[in-house]
Amino acid sequence: MNAPRKIPILVLVLIGALGIFTTLVLAGRITWFAEQPPMEYLPNMDHQFKAIPQSGNSFFADRKSLRDPVEGTVARGVEVYLLGQGDVDSAEVHNVDPNLKQSTFLLSRGQNRFNVFCAACHNFDAKSRSKLVQRGSWVGIPDLTMEHARTLSNARIFHIISSGQNLMPSYADKIQPIDRWAVIYYLRTLQARAVKSQ
Amino acid sequence: MFSRRFDLAVKYGVVALGGVATIVFAIVYFAARNQVADVGYRPQQPVPFSHKLHTGELQISCQYCHAGVEMSAHSPIPTTQTCMNCHTAVKPESPRLARVRESMETGIPIEWVRIHKVPDYAHFNHSRHIRAQIDCKSCHGPVESMGVVSQYKPLSMGWCLDCHRNPADNIVGARPISGVFTGQLHDVNNLLDSTYIFTPIAAQIGESKPIVSPSFGMVETALPAHEVDGIPHPKKAGLGPENCSTCHY
Repeated sequence: MNAPRKIPILVLVLIGALGIFTTLVLAGRITWFAEQPPMEYLPNMDHQFKAIPQSGNSFFADRKSLRDPVEGTVARGVEVYLLGQGDVDSAEVHNVDPNLKQSTFLLSRGQNRFNVFCAACHNFDAKSRSKLVQRGSWVGIPDLTMEHARTLSNARIFHIISSGQNLMPSYADKIQPIDRWAVIYYLRTLQARAVKSQ
Repeated sequence: MFSRRFDLAVKYGVVALGGVATIVFAIVYFAARNQVADVGYRPQQPVPFSHKLHTGELQISCQYCHAGVEMSAHSPIPTTQTCMNCHTAVKPESPRLARVRESMETGIPIEWVRIHKVPDYAHFNHSRHIRAQIDCKSCHGPVESMGVVSQYKPLSMGWCLDCHRNPADNIVGARPISGVFTGQLHDVNNLLDSTYIFTPIAAQIGESKPIVSPSFGMVETALPAHEVDGIPHPKKAGLGPENCSTCHY
């Protein structure tokens, strides 16, 4: 009598476990990962026939909805940085330091943009010992608190941010001109702090 | 009229059919909700990019690649140029980056698979939420620990309203890793800790109060200057508006 009873108990336990698991998944307590896009029972107007930002488009050869601007044109409100990496001398004349009041707000903006765009390599303290450098992925990134970087003029640093230097690419498309000045002012405070702690 | 056996069979059959129908309905009903159907969508991307490596270990800010999220309704997927900012020098020969180099040469963008999407009749403005110092983690989860990114929150209308009505419990304040501008200078030592929160949301909410008349779900918040020295000024987080045209326009 014992043998036939044991199997139903095992089956019951399994069914119970499956039931609990299903309930937890359906209640949203356990995440069910899937590579397939979610099923849509009533798509209504979820997907409309229009181009949304960065959507794909099979109509164009490069398969993107977003069209490139016509050659030789510039979008309104965009300041294009025209100097190349080598135009160091004209950069000193071209980039006029607006001499903004170095309020806490401006410096905090500089800190924010510095941490986002510069700290990946140059680290949060500008000494260029970031995680990337510590891993040995990129060697030869200069310490921005050293004598050489401290003596560069603001206009020259603006030029380096805007058009890049050596392996460093241009950040003109990522950091607004006003933010570039804020970053430079904030970098000066980091340099001053490094000098003080030496 | 019918035999006793047939009568019983019909009775049991109806009960069994009803039971099965109830279970199937319950499964479909609960599985169709966004928090089950959509959460956990984890597609394979054309390039095996790891957020865990780039954000978690290398501490590259969210906004380094998703730059422009402060100013735009859409949070941009990075251009191929953004990848090549580093990958001209870091692992330039890696076979996993072949697709990126090919895109750089041909000018045809990489077709990343979109994970988070609200329906086309609803509009979510990233810049408005970033300006209110709401961290990316509130909606996208701890991306810095995800190897392959999956959808983390249901993105349903009820879920949106949960935060608009009760931000203190649902929203994470700005963290160092996300690059959300707070308008305040921060101690450099805190920047390495990705769990550190600059300004907890709960502290900012007291200043916003619902408008009672006419009550179209509008909220009055103390607004700072829109721009200072040409730099967009962050606002304070508060109750979100609840009128229809906030998102459906």
